[in-house]
Parts: sequence; structure tokens; C-alpha cells
Amino acid sequence: MTKQDLERIKSEGIARKPKSWIRVGYSTCGVAAGAKDVYDVLVAEAKTRGLDLSIKKCGCVGLCSAEPMVEVNIDGVPRVFYGKVNKEVAHKIMDEHVMQKRLVDGHIYEL
Amino acid sequence: MKRVLIQDTKGSLKKETRDFLVSFNSQLQERGLADTTQVLMVSDIGVYNKGIAVRILPEGFVYPNLEIRHIAEIIEKTVVKGEKIPELIFDRKNKQQRIVLRNCGKIDPESMDDYIAYDGYLGLARALELGSAKVIEEMKKSGLRGRGGAGFPTWLKWNITNGVKGDEKYFICNGDEGDPGAYMDRSVLEGDPHSVIEGMMIGAIATGATRGFFYIRAEYPLAVERIQKGIDECYARGLLGKNIMGSNFNFDIEIRLGAGAFVCGEETALIASIEGLRGYPRPRPPFPSVKGLWGYPTVINNVETLANVSYILLKGGDNFGKIGTEGSRGTKVFALTGKVRNSGLVEVPMGITLREIVFDIGGGVLNNRGIKAIQTGGPSGGVIPEQFFDTPVEYESLQKLGSIMGSGGMIVLDENDCVVDISKFYLGFCVDESCGKCAPCRIGGTQMLGILKKLSEGKSEEEDLKRLSQIADAMQKASLCGLGQTASNPVVSTLKYFMPEYRAHLLDHKCPSGKCASLVKYTINKDRCTACSMCMRVCPVEAITGTRAEKYTINPEKCISCGQCFDVCKFTSVLRQ
Repeated sequence: MTKQDLERIKSEGIARKPKSWIRVGYSTCGVAAGAKDVYDVLVAEAKTRGLDLSIKKCGCVGLCSAEPMVEVNIDGVPRVFYGKVNKEVAHKIMDEHVMQKRLVDGHIYEL
Repeated sequence: MKRVLIQDTKGSLKKETRDFLVSFNSQLQERGLADTTQVLMVSDIGVYNKGIAVRILPEGFVYPNLEIRHIAEIIEKTVVKGEKIPELIFDRKNKQQRIVLRNCGKIDPESMDDYIAYDGYLGLARALELGSAKVIEEMKKSGLRGRGGAGFPTWLKWNITNGVKGDEKYFICNGDEGDPGAYMDRSVLEGDPHSVIEGMMIGAIATGATRGFFYIRAEYPLAVERIQKGIDECYARGLLGKNIMGSNFNFDIEIRLGAGAFVCGEETALIASIEGLRGYPRPRPPFPSVKGLWGYPTVINNVETLANVSYILLKGGDNFGKIGTEGSRGTKVFALTGKVRNSGLVEVPMGITLREIVFDIGGGVLNNRGIKAIQTGGPSGGVIPEQFFDTPVEYESLQKLGSIMGSGGMIVLDENDCVVDISKFYLGFCVDESCGKCAPCRIGGTQMLGILKKLSEGKSEEEDLKRLSQIADAMQKASLCGLGQTASNPVVSTLKYFMPEYRAHLLDHKCPSGKCASLVKYTINKDRCTACSMCMRVCPVEAITGTRAEKYTINPEKCISCGQCFDVCKFTSVLRQ
């Protein structure tokens, strides 16, 4: 690998960047709080609805007391963090935030 | 679409907030804006203890301390026209600055491509172009000091090893994080493993190291898994092994697991552990930089230090050196825990005050209780009382207060925490973790713990406080390694700042915060008791008996003074004496 390779991978990565994405906090703190269930729900829902949506397992953003944290960026909706997400809230994120473009009540956190 | 986020930032304005929300909605309805505006409650809006606050999206304006009379103006100006209301706005500055945690939560830690898309390994490419001397020069400009706790300048450590001749040189990343309540390194290893791997490779270029080791505790399986994946991918794509990136730089990395002994975080014990020996520290000098692992020159850097290194090489030492204060450059990650509303990791520029960390970022004390102190630096650190919260966070200023920066644990203590109990906890930790090699630490720690136990049981005598100071002094001066030298710090600092509380334990056999179980008694005031039976249900030893008709009483014979009935009673009818 050379410096040119790095630059190429970087620009390809930026070009590939999806417009709509979800990041799930998947460090020890998130996993312990139930991030796996949340991730599974989000992935399954995106599949059944046939959405073009990138759902990524990420590290911890720092607000461990509010894990599982999910960051949602949907085209046309402000980017927000949801905290203390469980399966039920994960379904709501899909129904309301992703599909209806309305923010989900009661779970938004500011970093 | 406009979005109006509402939060009760005090935590005690439930009814007012509900009225505010209802009023907001009905005024929107009246003006026909209900379909284009979404009003919702949120959990955290980024400001604390400022009454009812709203944040309007997409503009992001924050208006705190609101009442219903403000609603009409907010709708008129901000919701309809998107204008700012200068009289109401709160200019919220984000006090965090993310360098070490720059990618945590943003990238997929198991994808190297993702790391590269965020400028990954460009710092390594630059280091290969610069060569050893210039990399060290760059580090000198940055002013980075070791983040493991002691704060030794990183460039100097590297320079020493670079100057020593050796057939082989080793580079170790110390991931043996063990302070109670601290988990910064785990989070970095799990959230951004490649930044640490890259940092180590840059260090190897600077020092001429040929082999690297990650020493990570076995209790961090996810961190180990992700670092291993990172190393494997580096080998697969030619970033580790021979002739890295077409240069003549060769480097190999492997992981060694620590079995969880606290003392193995001490560098000489860590080296012994990697060598396959018992994790005993040895006297220094010779320092590991000169004679370390298997007798060869060895650099040992902490996880957080290495995550900084990749950033410094990418952005330049000058840029990094602009952050922070004269003697302490850059940022520091703290694990903010204890009785704080937002517990978690915060990364702040050096020089920020403790008050800003606890109140502006952490959101203040849990349940709106009074704050007592903050414990920094784990078992080697000290307790800093509230009157010093405006001290800037730097290596030297914290030391002056009798604490240390340490690896980054920060535990908030509220008025219900007892300093004797806290000291007992930390000292107990060090007694458990003492390797037993030297007498001051092995015997001194146990003796001090015995005295603290007597204090918390109300059995101590006047002489004991003096004895505590004497033993602490001996341990600091005569112990072999950092563990013993610093184990008494929590006791020394609390003796300095909280003498009246120690004396209350000693003379009056009272624990002012009601934490020391043997010194408090619980009774129920029958006049105030509403016979809700909550205390009876929560009691773990069935010491509370009675019926709804005759109300409840505590049997002192059975009571273990755990205080659960006291905490659960909503009518303050459980008394603590």
C-alpha cells in the first residue's frame, strides 16, 4: 500500500458516503445496554421495507449513561442522537423518523 | 418542517413543562402552523438547570428559562421567520474538543477503509517521509505528555530510546487500564483501534523499534478482538510486516493479554509480565527506555497518548500545541462517573475548570443533590473539594491540590458520600492489588486500612489520625513502585480537606453523611408514616414489620443499616441518626 492507495481509498470512501445513514453505538457500554437487539431491529426493518439505508456499528460517542445510542441522519431531517433506545424505540425510529420524517418523542440527546 | 424540542432542564418542573407544551401546541394550532411544526419532548437539550428550555431546528437556537408568556414571540419570530431572539438566546458553546475520540462513534471500528476515509494512516505516510529525527521534532513542538498519568514528555521518551543502541528495540502500548471507574482506553481501543495502531507505528519509526506489543487486559475482550482485526488487516494490506509502504521500515505487532493485576500497569511489572514472569515491579534506573523488555530498549506509551500521536503527525505539532495551556498541551479524555447526571466520556482541552466539566458538560449532580468533591486519578489520586472547582485542569495544578491527572478517572461525590468510606474503598483496592514485594506497601497499606475500618465502626482512638499520616508518609517515601508510593494519596488528601468529618467519626462516633453503616441507626417516625409499606418491601433482611393499620417499625437487632428504607421513603418518616 502506498500513499496514493490511501488517497484513493479515502476519495472512494467519501464518494460512496450514503445520504441517509444510521450509526449504532456498539462498544462494551452499548452492547451491555442492549445495542445488539436495537441493531438487529433496525437492520430487519430496513430489509423488510427495502430501504437504501446504511446502518453501521460504531464505537461509543461518550454518553455512556444514555446507551444504547443511535445517531440518525435521514435526508431532509435534522441529524439527531437518540439515547436509551430499546427495541420499541428502534421500531419508532424506523416508522416515524425514517418513514414519516418526524422526530421520535422523548429520546433525543444532545452531546 | 420546523421542530421545537422542549426539555425540563431542572428535572423538577414536570407540571410546568407539560403546561408549556400544551400551550405551545394550542398556539401553533390557532395560527394554523400545527402541520408544519413538530413539537416534542427530549431527554437532553445540552443546557442544565436553566428551567424550561427549547431548541428550534433546523436553526439550532436554544432558549432557556422560558415561561408561557414567551411562546407567542418564539412562534412569531423563530418558528415563522427563522429569526433569532437575542434577548432569549443562550449561546451554548460546546466545551468538548475531540482529538483522541475524533472517530469514536463515527467510523466502523472493524473497517480499515472507513478509518482511511477519515484521514487514517496519512500520519504514518508523513512520518515515513519525515524520518526519525523530524518526527521527534514534530512531537517536541506538539508538547504532548504521557496520558497514562505521570505526564512525561513523549518526545523525550522517544528521543532517549532513539539515542540508545540496540540490536532490537521494542514498543509497547500500555492498555492495562485498571483504575476503578476509568475506561477511556477501552473506549478508544474499541471505537478507533487503527488510530492507536498507527500511533504505535509512528513511534516505532521515531525510535527505531522493530517489534510492538499491545498489552491489553483480558477483561476487555471486545477491545482485544478489534485490535486483532486491525492488526490482521494491516498485515493483509502491507501496512505491517516488511517494507511498509514501499520504505525500508519493518515492523511487527502482536497482542499480549494481561490477567487483570493492577500492578501490571506499572511499566517494569508490565515488562515482567510480557516476559512471562510474575508481574513484579523492579527498581528504576535502569529505565525501560534504556533497558527494558528482554534487556532491550523499550518505549511504553499509553493508549490515549498513541491516539494523539496519529493526530499530531496528520495535523502537525504546531497545530496540536495551540490547544491547552503552557505546560499541558492538547486535550484529555476523562471518564466522568459517580453522582453526575451524564456519566460517560468527555474530552476537553487542558485548562478547562473542574466546574465546567461537572456542571456544563456533565449536567451537574444526580437528583439535584449538593456536590461535595471530585475524585481524580483513581487509587493514586486524591479528592478535590468543591471550593477548588475553579482550578484549571492541568498536570501541575491538580498535583498542587494533592491529586493527580492520572489516567482520567473522575468520580463525582455528592453530600451523601462519606470521605472515610471513599478512602477505605480506594485503599482496600490497593491492598488487594499490592504485589507484596516491598514492605511499606504490603504492611503499610494493610495497617492504614485497619485504622480506616476502625474509624468507620466508631472504635478508633485519638492517636489513629496521627498514625494514618505517619504510615502514609512512610509509604510515599519508601515504596518500590508507583502503586505503593501513591496508594495513600486518597487518605492524605481527604485528611487535608475533610478533617472535621474524620473527627466526627473519631470523637462523636457519627458519620455525617450516613454512609458508615455501624455509625447510623434507622427508626420510623410513626406520626409521619403513611403506612405505604414501601420500606417493608425494600428491606433486604425483613427487619421492618407491621401492618397498614398499626404502621411499621424497624427491629434494630435485625437492621443492617443499609439505608434502603431511608432512600425509598417519600414522606421523610424514616429517620437516620
